[in-house]
Amino acid sequence: MFVSIENLSFSYANTKATALDSFSLQIKKGEVISILGRSGSGKSTVLRLLAGLEKPSVGKVSIQDEVLVDDQTFVQPEKRGIGMVFQDYALFPHLTVADNILFGLFRMKRSAKQTRLQEVLELVELQGYEKRYPHQLSGGQQQRVAIARALAPNPHLLLLDEPFSNLDAELQEKIRKELRDILKKANITSIFVTHDEKDAHILADRIVKIKNGQTEFIGRPCDLIDVYRQEKQSLPAVSEEKELIYT
Amino acid sequence: MQRRLANVNIWTVTAMAIIAALFLPNMTIVTGLFTPSNENWEHMKEFVLWSFIKNSLILVVATAGATIFIGLSLAWLIAQYQFPFRRFFKWALILPLSIPPFIGAYTYHGIFNYTGVIQTTLRDRFGMELNPSHFDIMNLPGAIFIYTVFLYPYVYTITQVFLSQQSASLIESTRLLGKGPWRTFFQVVVPISRISIIAGASLVILEVLNDYGVVKYYGIQTFTTGIFQTWFGLGDIETSIKLAASLMGFVIVILLIEKVLRGRRQYSYSSTKVRPLPLIQLTGWKAVAAAGYCLSILALGFFIPIAQLIEWTILTFGTIPLDEFMSYMRNSIVVAGLSATAIIVFALIVGNFARLVQGRFAKLLPKLTVLGYSIPGAVIAVAVVTAFVALDEFLAPLYQLAGMNTTLVLSVSIILLITAYIIRFFAIGYSSIETGYDKIGTDFQDASRLLGAGLTRTFLKVDMPMMKGAIISGFILVFIDVLKEIPLTLILRPFNFDTLSTKAFQYASDEKIMEASQASLLIVGISALAIVIFYKFLEKEMD
Ligand SMILES: Nc1ncnc2c1ncn2[C@@H]1O[C@H](COP(=O)(O)OP(=O)(O)OP(=O)(O)O)[C@@H](O)[C@H]1O
Ligand SMILES: [Mg+2]
Repeated sequence: MFVSIENLSFSYANTKATALDSFSLQIKKGEVISILGRSGSGKSTVLRLLAGLEKPSVGKVSIQDEVLVDDQTFVQPEKRGIGMVFQDYALFPHLTVADNILFGLFRMKRSAKQTRLQEVLELVELQGYEKRYPHQLSGGQQQRVAIARALAPNPHLLLLDEPFSNLDAELQEKIRKELRDILKKANITSIFVTHDEKDAHILADRIVKIKNGQTEFIGRPCDLIDVYRQEKQSLPAVSEEKELIYT
Repeated sequence: MQRRLANVNIWTVTAMAIIAALFLPNMTIVTGLFTPSNENWEHMKEFVLWSFIKNSLILVVATAGATIFIGLSLAWLIAQYQFPFRRFFKWALILPLSIPPFIGAYTYHGIFNYTGVIQTTLRDRFGMELNPSHFDIMNLPGAIFIYTVFLYPYVYTITQVFLSQQSASLIESTRLLGKGPWRTFFQVVVPISRISIIAGASLVILEVLNDYGVVKYYGIQTFTTGIFQTWFGLGDIETSIKLAASLMGFVIVILLIEKVLRGRRQYSYSSTKVRPLPLIQLTGWKAVAAAGYCLSILALGFFIPIAQLIEWTILTFGTIPLDEFMSYMRNSIVVAGLSATAIIVFALIVGNFARLVQGRFAKLLPKLTVLGYSIPGAVIAVAVVTAFVALDEFLAPLYQLAGMNTTLVLSVSIILLITAYIIRFFAIGYSSIETGYDKIGTDFQDASRLLGAGLTRTFLKVDMPMMKGAIISGFILVFIDVLKEIPLTLILRPFNFDTLSTKAFQYASDEKIMEASQASLLIVGISALAIVIFYKFLEKEMD
């Protein structure tokens, strides 16, 4: 397996509740995984643990057989080769689009940097926007810059936290398609968090559902629909809510 | 504690060292409490300690009351009503803060005394027979007046900012419930701004307890004057340490009272997206009265003393050799600049540590450094000298190795003074930096680290540039405070080292009021300029 997550558990400091309980997942190279769940279910926590922004109480994460974290090791976030697109993008407001993207390329040679910059700008279709500052871009454009910035250093794994949450419905539709194309073109292994099932169905190869830190379901999008069919039979009262997934 | 502590090593070590260095000297005061008392202390306890406590208490309570009244009423006028020159008053009302109270004290004494403008005018123009004692302001009420007109901006600014962030609907709903403006004021505005009023008033109280210049000049016995007397008059540092410890106890009681009054609620910043208060247009005599009220406060706290200082400066221009004067100014700017720079650098390091570290105890550590601001300068002076003399004793063998035939090196150098400034004013810079860190959050830092940048690179390339506003405003605030500082500078400056404020103070103490005016005017000018820059900067940041 390309990414292997075993038995990851975590609780935030000064809280008793476990934010994530025994989370395990194996990911193949190039696969797009979606983590679904309601607000507060622990989705962001999974990403933060993988990125090394939090340290799990137990569990193991490895990429290509290199251990990132277990009871003996803890690789610092900057050494993990994992890219992340934050919920609010976290574009550096004092840097231009180009400087934001170049930020992660500081170890490269100058010419290589410029080539890579143009490559990723082309990938997200933002050529010509190099000189702008983040606040001079639309929400969708900001999101694409964030993706470009995360992709530029060629991470092994790309994490996206609610990439569509700040966009209006129309833009969400458009960006969802774009993101799918970008991810496939870049052939990058990725995990994205969402609470919208539509996102998950359109984008993901596999879906992980979590609830209160517990894994409820792992499988292909079509399998999730079967689960709902069963649920629907036992719980007819909440059926309207699930209508969406059939469309 | 776990999460990032493992990798904050250099940051942790540096931050801990800074916190310890800022905190430990104050502990020497506490140990002073346990040394056996000598007869001076017994004498003090019997005869004067009570009057120190009584005078300090009267000054603190009366000044707090008066500054709350003035600060709150001005804040409410500015936040809620539209009247002529409101925009000007909004920022100008902060200006009295640029006049150090001791300068205000001798200026007003000069205005009121026998040869001053008021008595001479009344005598010469109107031929009135005057009883000079009616015009004596060198007493407790006079000191309260001075503190009030120059310190009320602490209450005014904090409350004004708070009120202007409040949602319009809160006030409007009170209005719609049929309450008139007075009832709205007392039943809604006062209770909701309680926290900012208390915060502002605490700053005023700490300033009053710290003050040496006003009470010395007006001949009022307080803890600070007592510390000076026993130390320099009697040469009895042990007793002055005991006095310092008592003053520290006094301050701690006040801080505890503040905590209780403030209750469990923290400062709440309501969202900036709320609809701001629409201003109510005042017309006719009401508009005149509002503008007149603001103008008279501003006149008392700024225009009148400034006019007097300018007059004196013109009268005495040229009496102090220019190059001498330039050297005071250079000294002032150098020590203020160095201290402000050091404080901001330390604050950035400690602030970053506070943000990275997890766990309640570790988060509490940086708060210790804030103590320095609540401890009066005279106490810090005692503490720092004691600590530095001990340090010199410890380093004495090293000095001998280096061929020096003295045992006092650090304790007679400018480092002593700058260290004391850093301890005293660290909290001012730190609160600005802390707010800056709070504002940018940790997302940018996380993003930077996931792009391969380590903590130090992240700090230099992401945090620092994003904190520019906080860094500049923190620097300005510390700079002004050092410029105006009196007790620490008087006690700790190296031999023959004078700043603008020590010079102004000395001239004034020697009854050379007019000669003092030049240095004073320069201090006020630089501070006022810095305040205006700071304010304009803040306003730009806010929108
Ligand atoms: N810094 C923190 N300190 C303490 N508890 C936290 C912290 N961050 C998250 N939690 C708690 O951990 C649980 C999981 O949070 P998480 O952020 O992973 O949820 P989420 O699924 O991403 O939710 P959302 O969709 O709202 O972003 C929640 O109960 C939350 O309250
Ligand atoms: Mg989340």
